[in-house]
Amino acid sequence: MYFLPEQNLRALVTRLQKDYTVYLPEKKNNKRYYTTDAGNGTSYTVAEVRACEPLKAFFFKARQKVAAGYDAAMPPTEAKPLCIVGAKACDLKGFKVEDYVFLNGDFSDPFYRRARQNNLIISADCSMAIDTCFCLALGIKPFPEDNYDCNLSQIDGGFLLESGSEKGARLMENNRDLLREGTAAQKKQRSEQRTHIQNEVRKNIKKYEIPSEEHLKGRVKKNYSYAFWNPEAENCVECGACNTICPTCHCFLLYDQGDKRAMERLRVWDSCMLKRFARVAGGANPRPELWMRLRNRFEKKFDFFPQVLGLNACTGCGRCISACPAKIDIRKVLGRLAAHA
Amino acid sequence: MHEMTNPYAIIKTQVLQVKTETPTIKTLHLKPSIPFRFDTGQFIELTVPGVGEAPFTPSSDPGNREELQVSIMRVGRVTEKIHQLKKNDIVGIRGPFGAGYPLELFKGKEVVVIGGGCGFAPIRSLMYSLFAMQGELKQLVFRGGCKNPEEFLYKQEITDWTGKKDLNIRLTVDHAEKKSGWKYNVGLVTTILDDLPVSPAGAFAIICGPPIMMKFTTLKLIEIGFKEKQLYLSMEKNMSCGIGKCGHCRLGNYYACKDGPVFRYDSIENIQDIWE
Repeated sequence: MYFLPEQNLRALVTRLQKDYTVYLPEKKNNKRYYTTDAGNGTSYTVAEVRACEPLKAFFFKARQKVAAGYDAAMPPTEAKPLCIVGAKACDLKGFKVEDYVFLNGDFSDPFYRRARQNNLIISADCSMAIDTCFCLALGIKPFPEDNYDCNLSQIDGGFLLESGSEKGARLMENNRDLLREGTAAQKKQRSEQRTHIQNEVRKNIKKYEIPSEEHLKGRVKKNYSYAFWNPEAENCVECGACNTICPTCHCFLLYDQGDKRAMERLRVWDSCMLKRFARVAGGANPRPELWMRLRNRFEKKFDFFPQVLGLNACTGCGRCISACPAKIDIRKVLGRLAAHA
Repeated sequence: MHEMTNPYAIIKTQVLQVKTETPTIKTLHLKPSIPFRFDTGQFIELTVPGVGEAPFTPSSDPGNREELQVSIMRVGRVTEKIHQLKKNDIVGIRGPFGAGYPLELFKGKEVVVIGGGCGFAPIRSLMYSLFAMQGELKQLVFRGGCKNPEEFLYKQEITDWTGKKDLNIRLTVDHAEKKSGWKYNVGLVTTILDDLPVSPAGAFAIICGPPIMMKFTTLKLIEIGFKEKQLYLSMEKNMSCGIGKCGHCRLGNYYACKDGPVFRYDSIENIQDIWE
């Protein structure tokens, strides 16, 4: 394990920028947003807590041109691969779902595959928890354990740097001049911080009475009624923010624009909360009511994915809580599901 | 794994002919610009350039290398535009997608095919394949139903099948006016299922039609003695990407586009609201 002094981070980023488009979190109005400018003058916030945007947005883009005319080739994508610095453990779990969806099966999505194949993920430990954080309830720790190339743990004067892949190890060797050996005292500080931050998340879980995963198994199917779901869905305005902000939501719409001379096909984020989502031509709709669509959202995350992939498609990042204008609170819904055996 | 091919790109396809089948259904005869094969029961996505795309199961013989046919009911935005297409227009197709009918399994067996309404489109393709296997089947039975004689898709062709000596066939419509000249049964499709000349224990049944027809046909067959695992149903949901990624056609733990659209009934019977 190496130590990266704070003042060398910028040098590392500058080197990475030769081969990658590098994104780092920048703090604005007490929130964190990924930016390409960070490292070139703006201040960056590598640690702290997850950014506002879900990590998926870099790989499964909100809007991607996926075909043009009758050309069988892929429309061009970014010239340089992506390097994301400061990704948090909750978002890395999102990769497990997105990778499964877009890379598995008889067909893979070539746009997602290209972006993921060449990417470099330099993740970071959380150094704080905000009120909406509840990753531990979903079996995720607030520091990365897998799905990263290198991980940064902020400590006094800089970061402890650990590799999580061969690519990450190579990166560290190639930039050895910017690094020092990590000391036992530094490792101890990291370990203490990790314990502390887990305790912070546990406080949230206790405060909001959030159940752990074993109490959610099979519960959506057991609570399938209007009586359970309608009170939750009553205030929903069908904006779809919970879907777009979610690091695991993957549904999309293929949207054609242009005319017969210059047709373009776009793949844009879709939302299962919207009425027309499952509607078929002719008007039949398996989920005509809002409460059915909210139930479907939870069924997909807490029933479908556990069965097909073996994990709940929720990372405890809490973004949907902040994003919902109707104050629909996933913590409360999970609590009710667990309480109704 | 289709590494780095683009599953969203379309194949340039020429409209060879447009045939008006009923007041609401037209059949397009299509010629893709590159060789295109499908298994009966698989579906394609058809793009009207600049308008959008929609899923259809080809209604033609998979063995026909000259052209591909799709029969399309006018029900929405894309199908409205499809109905305006003319000979020599250019469209796009993607596919084929999903799992088709398990023809191999039917060898040596009694096979009952039940179609309703616009469900005749995939069923006609299946029947061509089954006719080609005729010597290998123990018995082939066809039951077809529609709202009325005017809406009866492929009416001439299907009524001609009544002359086939190896085929046990009965047809019905829900309502028929006297002047229509309808010579066959009048009543729901479930009213022509009591005399199936097969022993349910070893037979297979394939059902394709509107959800309400599939529901009551399935229940009727189970009442007759068919087991859930002997029934194959076409569950056509809102298939969009065709490759199990976009999420629109989820049916329980499956996606209709990649795990179906043909499902064995026992694999889906416990899914909530499957007939919706």
